[in-house]
Amino acid sequence: MADPNGGGEKQTYVEEGTQFKGSLTSSCPIVVRGKVEGDLSAPSLTVSPSGAVRGQVKVGEMKSQGELAGEFDADVVQLSGTVKDNTVIRAKSLEVKLQPAEGRMQVIFGECALEVGDMPSKEKEPGTKSGKKKKDEEPGTENPGV
Amino acid sequence: MPDFTADVILWKIKRGEKIDRADLRGIQMQKAVLDGASFRRCDFEGANLEGVRLAKANLKNASFREAYLAGADLREANLDNADLEGANLEAAMLAGANLGRANLEGANLSGADLSGARLTHAQLDSANLAGAKLSGAILSHADLVECDLGIAQLDKADLTSANLESANLEEASFVEANLSEADLREVNAKGAKFGGASLHRATLAKGNFTGADLANVDLRGAKLDDAKLDGATLTGAKISGVMASGASFANLRADWADGSPDGNGRNRVTGADVVAATLMGKVTTPVATKRYFGKGDVLRNASLQFDEGASVEIESLFEQCSIALGQGTELVIGAEGTLSGCQITGAGNITIHGKFFERASPGIAGASQLIVTSGGALVGAVEQPEGATRFAFEPGCRLRMKITQKNGKNGRQ
Repeated sequence: MADPNGGGEKQTYVEEGTQFKGSLTSSCPIVVRGKVEGDLSAPSLTVSPSGAVRGQVKVGEMKSQGELAGEFDADVVQLSGTVKDNTVIRAKSLEVKLQPAEGRMQVIFGECALEVGDMPSKEKEPGTKSGKKKKDEEPGTENPGV
Repeated sequence: MPDFTADVILWKIKRGEKIDRADLRGIQMQKAVLDGASFRRCDFEGANLEGVRLAKANLKNASFREAYLAGADLREANLDNADLEGANLEAAMLAGANLGRANLEGANLSGADLSGARLTHAQLDSANLAGAKLSGAILSHADLVECDLGIAQLDKADLTSANLESANLEEASFVEANLSEADLREVNAKGAKFGGASLHRATLAKGNFTGADLANVDLRGAKLDDAKLDGATLTGAKISGVMASGASFANLRADWADGSPDGNGRNRVTGADVVAATLMGKVTTPVATKRYFGKGDVLRNASLQFDEGASVEIESLFEQCSIALGQGTELVIGAEGTLSGCQITGAGNITIHGKFFERASPGIAGASQLIVTSGGALVGAVEQPEGATRFAFEPGCRLRMKITQKNGKNGRQ
């Protein structure tokens, strides 16, 4: 599964047509063009449009254009493609670009949960135009239904 | 008789000599290799230079009147202020060439590659540019009167203030080109593609744009009087300030157009008939009903309804409020705005720069579009309508968000 193209930075590939079940831990970035089901841990994960990942994932960075299902913990997430039902994405930073009104949907979200960044507080915070930030932000009491 | 024979020229070039200001009229140098040579102010009138290689040559102020340069390689050549009137440059390679202020009146450039070439203030009137490649070329202030640009490719070209009066643009491609303040009166642009181009303050009067693709073009302030746009596509075009008296719009294809003066999409005109009527001045472009709730205001336990086309901006604190949005209503929660314990329903477009905290789940239901920008925060559930919500999240946004589906179709396992 290691870099099929030879040179350059080593990457772990799960190629199109490959289905992987089980636990995968890598010190190299993982690129999924096939299907992965299980636990996955790596510095980064790239899921191509043909790729699908289902399971528990812990990575530094995640870029997905494919299909995600399960629990995903990452520092930075760039998302397009599909997020299936019962999926949880936790990240410090999430980016989803807006598609033109007539274009294809950038992301199709199923019934899922997104936990991104610090817990927002109703109080004024530092770094925002509206106030100064507390050092350790109080996770607000407001989180109904989530 | 030319000052030099072809052999002498080749010998001089080989020695690295410049051949400036020479009289080379009528010289025969087909397929000669002259890359990088200097022929400044030389006179090549009537010369046969078919297939000659002059890439990166210095041909500034040279004259090629009536010269035969078909298939010549002039890539990145400097032809600044050169005289190419009546020259035959069929299928010549001129990518990246500098033709600023050059005289190409009546020249044959059919099938030539002028990608990225500089043609500012060039004279191209009555030139034949049919099928030419001009993508990314700079043609600002160029004179293209009565020239033939049929099926030419001008994607992302800069034609600012260019004069294309009575030119043939049939089936040409101007995708994302800049035609601001250009003169396109009486052009034949049947089936031409202008998708995403800027025609801001351009003159298109009496032009024939039958079947042309004008989707997402910026037509603000353009003059379309007596133009023919039958079967044209105008979806997403910016149309504020267009003058189109006497224009025809039969079978116009326009799901919507943007009537806002600053082209920000906040004032949509929906439906081809309404777009056509708006363009012809029979319907005044509706001005979006704008509501603004300023910083420092507090609104509690209120129920608010904003109809279709309205534009709402909130910089205040809203507590325990219900907001109903009409189709396409723009709701912006400003950086200073907080909606605490609130609920938003309806097919509006919501942008959150500030904060939103839901009251009951779902806090947001049926939105067409939801954007949370880098300073924005959202705590609550979002119920997508049947057609799904278009989401955008900028890095830096904070979310504790549950996404649900009204009929549970999306993302089913």
